[in-house]
Amino acid sequence: MVQINFAHKEIQCKIVYYGPGMSGKTTNLELVHEKTPGEARGELTSIATTGERTLYFDYMPLDLGAIAGIRTKFQLYTVPGQIYYKSTRRLVLQGVDGIVFVADSSASKLEENRESMRDLEENLREMGRTVTDLPIIVQYNKRDLPDAMSLDELQKQVNVHNFPHFEAVAPTGQGVFPTLRALAALVLESVNRSGLGATRAPRPAAAPAAPASAAPAGAPTATPAPSARPAPSIAASPPPPPRPSGPPAYAPRTAVAASAPAYAPAYAPAYGPAATAVADAPVPRPAPAPAHALAPSASPAPGVAPRPASDRYVKVSGLGNGNGSGGGKFGMIAGLTALIAAAAWFALTQLGR
Amino acid sequence: MATDKSLRDTRLVFYKDDIESINAILDAFLKQSAAKCALLIDKDGHMVTSRGATKRIDLDTISALVAGSFAATREMARILGEEEFSALYHQGKSDNIQLSIVGDRALLTAIFDECTTVGMVRLYASEAAKRLAAIFRKKAQEAVAAGSTAGDGDATFRASTGPALDSLFGK
Repeated sequence: MVQINFAHKEIQCKIVYYGPGMSGKTTNLELVHEKTPGEARGELTSIATTGERTLYFDYMPLDLGAIAGIRTKFQLYTVPGQIYYKSTRRLVLQGVDGIVFVADSSASKLEENRESMRDLEENLREMGRTVTDLPIIVQYNKRDLPDAMSLDELQKQVNVHNFPHFEAVAPTGQGVFPTLRALAALVLESVNRSGLGATRAPRPAAAPAAPASAAPAGAPTATPAPSARPAPSIAASPPPPPRPSGPPAYAPRTAVAASAPAYAPAYAPAYGPAATAVADAPVPRPAPAPAHALAPSASPAPGVAPRPASDRYVKVSGLGNGNGSGGGKFGMIAGLTALIAAAAWFALTQLGR
Repeated sequence: MATDKSLRDTRLVFYKDDIESINAILDAFLKQSAAKCALLIDKDGHMVTSRGATKRIDLDTISALVAGSFAATREMARILGEEEFSALYHQGKSDNIQLSIVGDRALLTAIFDECTTVGMVRLYASEAAKRLAAIFRKKAQEAVAAGSTAGDGDATFRASTGPALDSLFGK
C-alpha cells in the first residue's frame, strides 16, 4: 500500500515481480540493479538458497527522484516462483501496488505460466483484492529461446486478462526497463488518482465532527487484510537446467512512448488511464551508467557456499529439506523460522557495516 | 462507525505534525531505553520515520527485511493458533534488534547494543508502541471519516511523472 509522507515529502510504492520458477524475475532485478546509477538505487538483497533459487524474496529500492517536489521511491521485490512457495509469495504480496508478471516464453513452460497466473489471482483474492484492482504488466521473457511460443498464442493462453505486455530477453536487458517504466507510470497514475491530488491540499481540519468544513483527505478504498491459508511444506528445489546461450534471434518490439505507453491496453483498468503527454522541464538526473560495479559482499552465513564478491546475497543452506509427509504444520513452521532467521541475519549484518 | 478492519487497512497519510508527534515518542523511548536508534516501519516495508544513530544503516533494506521477518512471524503465529506474536527479538554479536508491533499497522524497531538490556528496551518499547498506536488509530479514523474519493489527481504531479521516468529508465 502506497505510503504518502508529506512531512518527508515522500511517496513509497511496492512493486512485485511475480511468475513461475526460473522465468527471469530475479534476472530482471539484477539487470535493473546493474544498469541503474548508484545514487538512484540501493543494494540488491536476495534471500536465496545455495542453488540460487529465491527462497523468500529479492529486494531493491529505487529512487525516482523528486516528482513535483515529492521524492518518489519504489521498492522492488521478487517472489520465489516454485509451486511449493505459495504461502511465501502471499507474504511478499502484502501491500503491493503494482505487479510485473514475468512469463517464460518456452512452450514447455506454458502450463507453469498459466498455473502461476491462477496462483496470483488466488493470492490476491485471499487478500481481498482482484487483478483489476492494481496495475499489472505481463513480460514475456526468454524471447530468444528456440521453442519460444508466438506472442499471439501466449496472449491467448497466459494473458487471459489482457494486461499490457512486453517482450524481453532479461539477461541482455532487452525489455527490462521498458516493462518497469510502464508499470511505474501506471502505479504513479494510480497513486495520483486515488488520493494524491486531494492530499496535497492543506491538511483538513482536525475535528472529524465538522466534515462540511474540511477538505477531503482523499483516502483510497480500504484494502482488506490478507487472510491466511495452510500451505505445503517448503521443499528443496532441484538445480536449474542449463539455459541455451547465444544472442537473441530477434529484436523485441518493446518501444514505449515517453509518457504515454505504446501498448494501449485493450481494457480500461479501474485504476485510471496512463499519464498524458505533457512537455515539462525534466527532473535533472544523470544518464544511466553502463554496467555498474556492485559493492563487495559481506561475509556469507556459516555453511553457505560463497557468491561472487561483486554480489551481495544471503544464502541459506540446508533449507527446504522439510519432511513432506507428516510435516505439514511443523514443516511450515520450520520453513518460516528459516525465513525469519535469514531475514534477521541479513538485517544484523547490515548494522555491522 | 469505522470497523477495526477498515481502520487497519486504510492508507495513512503523514503530515508534518504527525511525524513530529511520532518523533517525540521515539526520542523519549531512546532516552529511556538507551537504544541506539528507533525505526518506525509500516507492515508493507515502508519506513515512516527514524530517530537516533541511523547514518550507517541501510534503512530501505532494513525496512524490507523487518517487514518480511514480521510477516513470516505472523504466519507462524496463525499456524500455532495465536492471534499474533507482538514482539520479536534478534540477537547479534554486537547489535540486537527488538521489534514491537504498533497497533497492527507498523513495527517499532529498536536497535541496541551492550549499553542497555533487552528487558529495558522491551519495557519502554511496549509503552512507546501503545502511544504510537493511539496516533495511528486517530489517523486511521480521520482517513475513514473523510471517506475514499478517487479524483482526477494532481496535474503537476502527472505532468512531471513522464520526464522523471524517462530520466531514469530511458524513453
